[in-house]
Amino acid sequence: MHKLVETIRALRHELDGRSLFFATIATLLLAAAIVVGSRNLFDFDSALIGYCFASLFAAFGLVYRYSVWLSKPPTRKYWHRGWQLCFSPRLWKNLRSPRILAEAVTRKIVVQDFIWYRSPQRWLGHFLIAVGCVLAAAITFPLVFGWVHFEQGQIEPTITYIVYVLGFPVRELDVKGAEAWVALHGLIIASFLVIPGVMLAMYRRMVDQGAAAVQRFGRDLLPLILLFAVAFTGLLLWVSYEFLHGYFYSALAQLHAWTVIGTLIYLPFGKLFHIFQRPASLGISYYKAANADKEPAQCPVTKQGFAPKMQTDDLKEVLAELEFDYSGKTDADPAWNEVSPRGRRILIGRAYSKMRHGKFD
Amino acid sequence: MIAPFKEFFIDFQRCIGCQACVAGCAECHTHRGSPMIHVDKVDPAVSPQTVPMLCMHCKVPTCAMVCPADAIKQDENGIVHSSLKPRCISCSNCELACPFGVPIVDQKKQQMQKCDMCFDRTSAGKKPMCATVCPTGALFYGTMEEMKRLRPHSKPINKWRFGKQLVETRVWVMVPLDVEEMVVDWPELLKGVEGPVDFAMKLKERFQLEGFVDPESNEPLPFNMVNDTKDTEAQFL
Amino acid sequence: MARLSLPQQDYINEYGPHVSDLPVTGWLSKPEPDAMVKTHCCFCGMQCGIKLAVKDGKVIGFEPWEEFPFNEGRLCPKGVKRYMQTHHPDRLTDPLIRTEHGFRKATWDEAFDLLISKIKSIQERHGKNAFSMMSGVSLSNEKSYLVGKFARLALQTANLDYNGRFCMVSAGGGNKKAFGVDRAANSWADIPKAEVIFLSGTNVSECFPTLTHYIWKARDNGAKMIVVDPRVTPIARTADYHLQIRPGTDSALGQALLHELIANDWVDHDFVANYCTGWDQLRESVKECTPEWAGHICGVTPQLIREVARVWGTAKTSFLMHARGIEQQIKGVENVLSLINIVLVTGRIGREGCGYGTITGQGNGQGGREHGHKCDQLPGNRDIENPAHREHICKVWGITDEELPHKGKTAVELFEAIQAKEIHGMINICCNPLVSHPDTNFLREAVQGMEFFCVIDFFMSETARYADLVLPGSLHEEEEGTSTTAEGRVVRIRAAVDPPGNARTDTSILLEIARRLGKEKLFSYKDNEDIFNELRRASSGGTADYGGITWKRIEDEMGVFWPCPTEGHPGTPRLFEDRRSFHPDGKFHFHATPYRQSFEVPNEEYPLYYTSGRSVFHYLSGTQTRRIKFLVEKAPGPVCEMHPMLATKLGFQNRQIVTVESRRGTITVPLQITEGIRPDTVFVPYHWAENLAANQLTVRALDPISKMPEFKVAACRVRSATKEEADRLRADWKNLSQEALA
Repeated sequence: MHKLVETIRALRHELDGRSLFFATIATLLLAAAIVVGSRNLFDFDSALIGYCFASLFAAFGLVYRYSVWLSKPPTRKYWHRGWQLCFSPRLWKNLRSPRILAEAVTRKIVVQDFIWYRSPQRWLGHFLIAVGCVLAAAITFPLVFGWVHFEQGQIEPTITYIVYVLGFPVRELDVKGAEAWVALHGLIIASFLVIPGVMLAMYRRMVDQGAAAVQRFGRDLLPLILLFAVAFTGLLLWVSYEFLHGYFYSALAQLHAWTVIGTLIYLPFGKLFHIFQRPASLGISYYKAANADKEPAQCPVTKQGFAPKMQTDDLKEVLAELEFDYSGKTDADPAWNEVSPRGRRILIGRAYSKMRHGKFD
Repeated sequence: MIAPFKEFFIDFQRCIGCQACVAGCAECHTHRGSPMIHVDKVDPAVSPQTVPMLCMHCKVPTCAMVCPADAIKQDENGIVHSSLKPRCISCSNCELACPFGVPIVDQKKQQMQKCDMCFDRTSAGKKPMCATVCPTGALFYGTMEEMKRLRPHSKPINKWRFGKQLVETRVWVMVPLDVEEMVVDWPELLKGVEGPVDFAMKLKERFQLEGFVDPESNEPLPFNMVNDTKDTEAQFL
Repeated sequence: MARLSLPQQDYINEYGPHVSDLPVTGWLSKPEPDAMVKTHCCFCGMQCGIKLAVKDGKVIGFEPWEEFPFNEGRLCPKGVKRYMQTHHPDRLTDPLIRTEHGFRKATWDEAFDLLISKIKSIQERHGKNAFSMMSGVSLSNEKSYLVGKFARLALQTANLDYNGRFCMVSAGGGNKKAFGVDRAANSWADIPKAEVIFLSGTNVSECFPTLTHYIWKARDNGAKMIVVDPRVTPIARTADYHLQIRPGTDSALGQALLHELIANDWVDHDFVANYCTGWDQLRESVKECTPEWAGHICGVTPQLIREVARVWGTAKTSFLMHARGIEQQIKGVENVLSLINIVLVTGRIGREGCGYGTITGQGNGQGGREHGHKCDQLPGNRDIENPAHREHICKVWGITDEELPHKGKTAVELFEAIQAKEIHGMINICCNPLVSHPDTNFLREAVQGMEFFCVIDFFMSETARYADLVLPGSLHEEEEGTSTTAEGRVVRIRAAVDPPGNARTDTSILLEIARRLGKEKLFSYKDNEDIFNELRRASSGGTADYGGITWKRIEDEMGVFWPCPTEGHPGTPRLFEDRRSFHPDGKFHFHATPYRQSFEVPNEEYPLYYTSGRSVFHYLSGTQTRRIKFLVEKAPGPVCEMHPMLATKLGFQNRQIVTVESRRGTITVPLQITEGIRPDTVFVPYHWAENLAANQLTVRALDPISKMPEFKVAACRVRSATKEEADRLRADWKNLSQEALA
């Protein structure tokens, strides 16, 4: 009990006011959007209330964490630089900026080729999970928030459904048509993507001796288990109503709801946060593009360029903000981070040799 | 389940530049063929001195602090790990900030890899690959007592001074008994190149070269080479 | 005729060397191995213990063998990457017969038929000795022993020699003269107990990296280290005393040191008087050899020689080691003896912390030179011309004295006889003379003139390209056996996997040839252990006595040191503890070593010393290591080391492409300027072939006793390369890192 009090006290001390503020605002905005989007909860499905509150909690957590993250000096620096470069007139010549963005989004967010280079099997697993999750999220959230709902349309000659978005009917689907099948089975498709993906990832984590050594349950296995649970219980629901005449349906629905709610609550804390964090890598693309044609920082030891000058300068500021002092004796000396990594290692060798007077003793 | 971790020691003077550590590093299951230890020639134009460098596992890791993606984590054993793969955005800040020049960022894989003290081996009670294969004991993994017994004329320290910055590390470096801090005074080191007179004197002390080359008659001597530290291999192609 | 039937490039494209660095399982996720095979590294005489990881009949990796007492898991980069050779795409998997247009694959029957018919035809026309055999000491003890017996009894030729002739015969010669036995006097365990470590002509750090640990341990205990080497090698870098002498002047230095020891009475008179012979002549021989005299010859200051003499003279314990630097000279034996003399006068041998030894270079350089692999030797390090020795071996082999050939030609003489058309055929196993023979242009010509040339190898070595018949043999990890490390420890080599494809073990190839030559009766063995047991009987009573060593004992005791005459004998890590040598008189013999010049010394036309050596990343002729990508990346090809002062004088820049010329050939290489070499000497490592062979420039002059060629001293000159030469170098260099197609 005492420990718990301590933890809470520590937490209160550590909580970041600014981020709390942003998180609260974001949560309120989402709540408002839910209310407005569901026409004053008119279209809101009360059966999904648990999902809804979990989503609000997740939104709070995600924004809080994102904001805290952005307040770290290096993150803030890159965040600012990313936007600054994105809109810099130099990069808008020949529309370079949007082209950089398009390429970066395609490679880093959509195709994720960097995972392929780590291992094709990993890429496949991750890609299946990613596509499945995005698909599931795209279906679930609008439904949960009451932004999309279905109503029965005509009965003759064929049964149709009318899709309402934000209260407006946008489309009428033939129940027996392919489009309707896809729309109604979207979550099933998603689980058929996620489950093999999770299996691949799990298999890798079981047989790969390197992965096995460094993985942690909470960090690496729990998210896979959660995703599996969500997908699998979702699949059971479908089996129940499609093949077993709703056998055990309500209990399964409860179970599924809890897995989803658990995952949503876990979202801001664990590994899945990377979904929201990953777009930061787009800023890096700008950073690299902006410096590609500039004279790089020269290493005083190797006499070679080794990094964008902008980055070594930025890093110097970041280091100072973090209260590191790697500056030289005088302003004329390069700072330690203005020596290339290889140059640093060489100088350490020289320093050591000097200390030992070039001898073995 | 996790075996207790021991201490890691580097003794730079013992290094003979054979790169067995580099070759071995690739074998570690977490490294998958990419070595993460560095062995650099210090001044190939002057001497065959080489310097092995692996992660010193700083108590307050500069690399983790400058990581914008929060991707570099130190575990409860004091081991600083490679970047978390889902987070790393391969910005290279860690590479550029690490005072020891250790992390390696793979732009293609978008991930930073660095020495994790062969976590797959050390967590199972084995020695890291580099410290097992190192033929000279320049890299050593064991207990403090063992080390003190084996090398009575050196002592392990873990404080490095880079200008005003003090860096404390988990990995120990072997120094003479009267040294308390490993000082890297780079502004001085960058100057440290001898003049023509010293050079000729050095030759005279070392050789009798009568009849062939006279140390005093050969000027100017190519001193700028001292800083020319590019690898020899294949550079000319 | 042993000629190329295709352009060189075609052989490279087809058979490599290609570089590959991919484990059979790939890097991404290595499976758990089925077995860990405890064996030894095949590269160099240290024979470090290593465990090979095997899965489904493939070597998939390694694990350090930390329990093995010599290296306790330590390895050099070659050892670490060694497992990459086993399933290398360049492995030869079928017998190859030369056609008008390269090689064609053949069946073993075809290959053996061709070989037997050629052997018979040559021997019928020119006599038995016209067919020769050349071997190497990367072979296990069993194979070395078998080759000795095979050549003499199956081929019935006297002309068998081995590549140890290029490696350590001078050490053997010197050791036999002084001690009557050819083995390092101590196990390495004595090194850390010594107060002074004396390293002469040995680049321990690059050629025997794992031995460095022992030297550093001595220095941890406060030992002083003296290094004699024209270059600042990594081991010499931190030496307390580095004598950077002129190549080829070692015996002068040894004499001057002895002079100083005598002048200051740093002599163990009791030891010298009671346990040694030849003292008076020796003392007389160095009377004039002052440090000034030697300093003038060696090109180092007399003060330094005096100081070194003082450190050596006043020490209580010491360990002296030497290697190829002093041995590969026409004065190799004298150089060795001059150092043995300074060990013996101080009486520091045969005791704890008092040691001496040559550091054998080749994998089984020690064991391979003991059991009848040499043209003048029978098993147990017996003399082929000694009637008593012959009798013993005849008894073991079940033959009469007439059936046992006498002394044959030594390696270089053998190739000279081929050139002179006295010898017309050869089986060459485990040797790549196109890289390792001095004056390779001569060697190529000799080989090309041969009527029939058969090579047994696991890769297409540069020499094998010239063969009429190439038989795919086995690697170290594909056959059971033993080897003997440089400290005299007999260790077990285990088969981890079988040879690939249709390749066969070397042993089975030799036995099959013997069978087809009608000698099955003399060559019927159950298995390799059976061969070892015959070796034990054959060596029994010789100086290298393996009588009491069994495979089981080796396994249980992690190696046994010879001499070990009976199964109850514990083995002998330290020789001479009883202060008796192996000479019949039991005394240690001093030999005067008056200084004489090298075969070739610089003059106006060729003003520089040329010397060669090794890189830590390659093993001998590089047939194996030049195929492993990591090692090739670190040391892709030869470079010429030159002092900045000389470079300035000649107007060269770092990494400029230069051509080094001697009276025998030229080599075009990039320049590496370094202060770590004498200003009157250039250095080129020797692991490469053809245009990149450092041995194009070396001399064929031989030591009169050991018949070892002078690799370490030649006269040369250096000029900048012509455009054609530079272009050729670039092309050759590109070939060195040609990737293997998976």
